[in-house]
Amino acid sequence: MLADFNFRVILEYLPLFLTGLRSTFLISIVSIGLAIATGIIACACRISGIRLIKYPAIAYIEIVRSTPLLVQIYFLYFGLPTLGIRVPEIQTGILALMLNSGAYIAEIIRAGINSVEPGQIEAGVSSGLNYIQRMRFIILPQALGVTVPPLLGQAIVLVKDSALLSLISVAELTRAGQTLTSERFMPSEAFFTVAFFYMCIYFCLKALADWSQRKLIFREAY
Amino acid sequence: MENIIEFKNVNKWFGKLHVLKDINLQIPKGEILVICGPSGSGKSTLIRCINRLEDIQKGEIIVNKIPVHDKSASLTRLRADIGFVFQQFHLYPHMTVLQNIMLAPVQVKKMDKAKAETIAMEKLDRVGLAEKSGAYPAQLSGGQQQRVAIARGLAMSPEIMLFDEPTSALDPEMIGEVLDVMVNLVSEGMTMCVVTHEMGFAKKVAHRVLFMDEGKIIETGTPSDFFDHPKTDRAASFISMILTH
Repeated sequence: MLADFNFRVILEYLPLFLTGLRSTFLISIVSIGLAIATGIIACACRISGIRLIKYPAIAYIEIVRSTPLLVQIYFLYFGLPTLGIRVPEIQTGILALMLNSGAYIAEIIRAGINSVEPGQIEAGVSSGLNYIQRMRFIILPQALGVTVPPLLGQAIVLVKDSALLSLISVAELTRAGQTLTSERFMPSEAFFTVAFFYMCIYFCLKALADWSQRKLIFREAY
Repeated sequence: MENIIEFKNVNKWFGKLHVLKDINLQIPKGEILVICGPSGSGKSTLIRCINRLEDIQKGEIIVNKIPVHDKSASLTRLRADIGFVFQQFHLYPHMTVLQNIMLAPVQVKKMDKAKAETIAMEKLDRVGLAEKSGAYPAQLSGGQQQRVAIARGLAMSPEIMLFDEPTSALDPEMIGEVLDVMVNLVSEGMTMCVVTHEMGFAKKVAHRVLFMDEGKIIETGTPSDFFDHPKTDRAASFISMILTH
């Protein structure tokens, strides 16, 4: 198989792949940024004592976690226009990734907050610190530390999930592979290259995750 | 002398479990009160009610003239005047010893940092750990962590100090250093409520010992009366247990 492998066609299509890579990269960056913001808000609502905001947050998180991302993408892609909202595919895609990852990130942050020993919160309470002061000085500094590695894990998932946007014809990396396949019928070359670029992104993020983990372990041991 | 803490017919339930049953208790200002009793007798719950770490369902608790049972009472001021030392220390692991002690004075009392630091160093010196101000809790032994926790409580200049089994989580060789620090506090005239089984400490400094079982105060008395001549069989058998232990 490898003897028949056509590297020339990969080189020929390289500009297309690089454009796709750039799109994947930009879509992922924007989506993860928005997803973190969504996750923080959803988590704040989820742990709130006010039912009016707590239950919608639970509903959002559970709906996202119980349905496949592809279904969510199609739901927005076909659903939004019926509501009269017409946005380009790329924005629909970013919205889907944002809502999807946002729900997982909300749970990651909540786990971080729950990892802070309840006794420390009691220590804060008994010295007269109010809720916001306890969050700011005791809980969040510790919660964010343990949250960084799983957040980067979620970022890796999001990058790979963005491949599904090719199905609503967003011109990203996987779409470039599909284009090469349909124009020249060389799926091995096409998806080998696509996979290679995803791996590049993965290893960059993994290096970052490992580095942050080492930093955190160091900080815990002091 | 006026009572700084007063319990009137206090009842508390955890779900169906009746953990405090008709507690009536007056603690005069400056008293050193030791509370003992078997585990599950409600002694920790009792002192946790004083700064409302636990809510009560019936009765009244007045602390420093503030009705603690009243849901609308301002607890921040009340809590700022009560130091609480936990069995498991509960220092903030991401902060240095000095930052641990300065947090509440700066944030709750709005003290300026320089002054808070002076006070923190003074209290740290008081517990014999001035040289550890820059260390993180994980670098300290259990006994040292508990002494820092005491300094953290003292930095708020509280009128009342509550100790919830302060030496129960410590190795035997560290219990002494923590008890020494606590004995030293007695001369300051603070009101202290200490849940402990340390008979030596009770005999040395306590004005009064309170024995609890199954959510009720079974008997109270001076340390020598209580330990040497307990009035109830329940207390007598408890004392013989901690003696043989």
